[in-house]
Amino acid sequence: MKRNDRFKPFARTGVIAGAAAFTLALSACNAAGPQAQSTPTDVSFGPTTSEAAGKIGSFTWMITQEPATFDLDVDSATAENTIMSNVCERLMQLQPDLTTTPHLAEKAEWTSDTTVVFTLRKDVKFHDGSPMTADDVLWSMQRHAAKGADESDEYANVTDMAKTGDNQITVTMKQRDAIFLQAMAGNGGIVLNRKVVEAQGANYGSPSAPDACSGPLKLDKWSAGSSITLTKAADYWDADNAAMADTITFRWADDNAIVNALTSGEAQGAYLDSPATAGPLQKSDKVQIAQGPSTNVWSLIATERGALKDERIRQALSLALNRQGVAQAAFGGLAKPWKAPVGPGSWGYEEPTFSAAYEALAGAPAQPSNEDLDKAKKLVQEAGAPAEPIVVANSGDSIRNVISSALVEAAQKIGLKAEIVTIPRQQYGDFYSDASLRAQADLFSDEYYISKNDPVGFYKNGASTAKVNFVKFASESYDNKVKEAQATTDDAARAKLAIDLEKQWTDAVVWIPVAHTPATIAMSKDISGAPSSASFLYYPWAADVGSSKK
Amino acid sequence: MSSLSTSTLASTPVIGRKKRDVAYLVSLGFLIVVVAAALLAPWVAPYAANAVDFTAIWQAPGGAHLLGTDQVGQDLFSRLIHGARESLLGPLALLALATVFGVTIGTVAAWNGGWIDVVLARITDVMFAFPGLLFVVLVIAVFGKGPATAIVALALAYAPVIAKFTRSLALAEMARPYVDAYRVQGVGGFFLCVRYIIPNLTPPLLGYLVVLFGEGLMSLATLSFLGFGAQPPSSEWGLMVQEGQSGIIQGHIWPTLVPGAAIAAVVVAVNVVGVRLSDRLNSRFER
Repeated sequence: MKRNDRFKPFARTGVIAGAAAFTLALSACNAAGPQAQSTPTDVSFGPTTSEAAGKIGSFTWMITQEPATFDLDVDSATAENTIMSNVCERLMQLQPDLTTTPHLAEKAEWTSDTTVVFTLRKDVKFHDGSPMTADDVLWSMQRHAAKGADESDEYANVTDMAKTGDNQITVTMKQRDAIFLQAMAGNGGIVLNRKVVEAQGANYGSPSAPDACSGPLKLDKWSAGSSITLTKAADYWDADNAAMADTITFRWADDNAIVNALTSGEAQGAYLDSPATAGPLQKSDKVQIAQGPSTNVWSLIATERGALKDERIRQALSLALNRQGVAQAAFGGLAKPWKAPVGPGSWGYEEPTFSAAYEALAGAPAQPSNEDLDKAKKLVQEAGAPAEPIVVANSGDSIRNVISSALVEAAQKIGLKAEIVTIPRQQYGDFYSDASLRAQADLFSDEYYISKNDPVGFYKNGASTAKVNFVKFASESYDNKVKEAQATTDDAARAKLAIDLEKQWTDAVVWIPVAHTPATIAMSKDISGAPSSASFLYYPWAADVGSSKK
Repeated sequence: MSSLSTSTLASTPVIGRKKRDVAYLVSLGFLIVVVAAALLAPWVAPYAANAVDFTAIWQAPGGAHLLGTDQVGQDLFSRLIHGARESLLGPLALLALATVFGVTIGTVAAWNGGWIDVVLARITDVMFAFPGLLFVVLVIAVFGKGPATAIVALALAYAPVIAKFTRSLALAEMARPYVDAYRVQGVGGFFLCVRYIIPNLTPPLLGYLVVLFGEGLMSLATLSFLGFGAQPPSSEWGLMVQEGQSGIIQGHIWPTLVPGAAIAAVVVAVNVVGVRLSDRLNSRFER
């Protein structure tokens, strides 16, 4: 063997190493200077961006992944909802300020404690030109309520649904459900064109199938793996709210590519998955950033594994956690340290009451003071430190890296041992369904949100029978209050009950709240009008987008 | 004319050798510093590897943090030094394991020849034909991720390379007269291989392994970057690159650049030292 031949493959290693160094150096050249601070300081906050000044021909919108289907009874994650909220309409409609108003239903009335009557509009037309009928509505609701459908839990209290007039549907419940009407503004309230769905059969929701909806935009073309195009619905029944754009193209890419697409002008907007992405976008003079209300909160969710069974340990960790640090490090300052497991977007009624109650909550400081740490140490002493280290799950992504590091730091400060276990991203969602996965960690971090603007919709998760009450928090008084709140339709009375539930939940630290992430939108300065709240998941936001200039 | 030509011809190799010597000495010195820093990490590093400081996130090099800080305010210099241990020990362990497998297979194949050689050659061919990274990922998928699995999986992927190399060296060694002389005296194959042949293969093999070390370091760093190797809160360099990449988009390049440059520098230095070392060892071996 010739000597040179022996080392030929490894000369390549040197080249690769050199190339790696070069690439890194190049990235250094392309990136902003090391001292550049990306923390945005002048991001506007509100339910909408400024109203569009005029119509627009077309624009391109970025999402983080391709939808799996547009049959929302099968799957309805952020990508599907962001698009289909413009195509399909609901009996009720979530507004940009996260309140709920009647929509395809002209009126929704509780006629008794257990009966709600929907009076339907007569002027609604589907995209194929056929009118919406009570039969379509009843059939759609039955489809949503069917076992296995994505929104079937919204119909858990429903015992009967019937057509009680040409334009009337009556729903009967086993008990009064105060949040049922709000649920009808979500995907459980979508009205489908029965004829179209049945004609498509199993093909409905696939790239080749037409939509079966009545919204201001209709599905024009889904080029699998590439893009989805919506066009303005001709003769939209609600002419005052017709789309301002003729065509909207959706493309998908990761956060980095979205930043590049927006700064280069290849795309005109995106609702950002992580507010941290807004940092580099704010440096661009072509892009505007806005934030709006949402219910989203990142929490550390305690599991049944054992180390956190004693609520004093959970309280101690909550007291020692540096939420301000997490908000800054993980979200570039665009998230807020938060004391409760659900965000202010859920305060859809009695907002001042909820706000005052939130301010009064204790036990989850933005930055732990020495007093907080002393109190936490005392709690640990009383409870006794767990024999095994507390294990916090991480998926290796940036936000969870920060949260798990912060938890380990908090534990160390109060004399507890904590360690991190990494779970693959693809498997991470299984924490909610897989007990064997939860057996690997005492805490897992996740962003949780609800589709209803009512805290009761969240706090039902603390009932002793709730699926996500992994740590087995049990209180008879809490369970009774959940039932009472769900059956109370008077807003003031329900708000009082919801606040009681919030207090009990946060006192027991069922989950450790970390940070509230408002909805964040990045949009070219050439367009305007899109809501900046989390309503984009259910409200036809794209119809409001037009040119920012007349 | 003649004297000028002679002088020119004579001086070129001297300059070339000097350049090589400088590169060799600089690389060797750098590696000694890195190894020393790794060994003395708890005493040399200004901060604990995982000391979080939310008041000092994303800091550029300078001041209290020589190489800057990462997303949670961890000192990059300290993490680099602590991470050097795992980053350097990993390839060492994988090469030790791969060498045991590879040298055994290569020597057995060369010594026995015949069907044993053919079977072992085909097995190593199959291993060669299978994309290395894919093989390693498959092994990790079966046995679970983590540094230990990554090391064993890579050792299995590297073993055929070492086996082939060893076999060719062993065949050359077996052609030497002393082997026949021992055979005539009735010395057994196992004893002959262990006592004489394998030790004689050590010089070229060692040079080869030094260079292979760089590749092992890159492979392990790649696996950690992909999430298959070292796991948080480890400060292994590949994992540091992975953790730092979220900062690039926000203009914070140091958390990626620092460990990335460390990997590149160590690999280049190891290659320079390895090539020089193998030159020297090979010239002795050939003599």
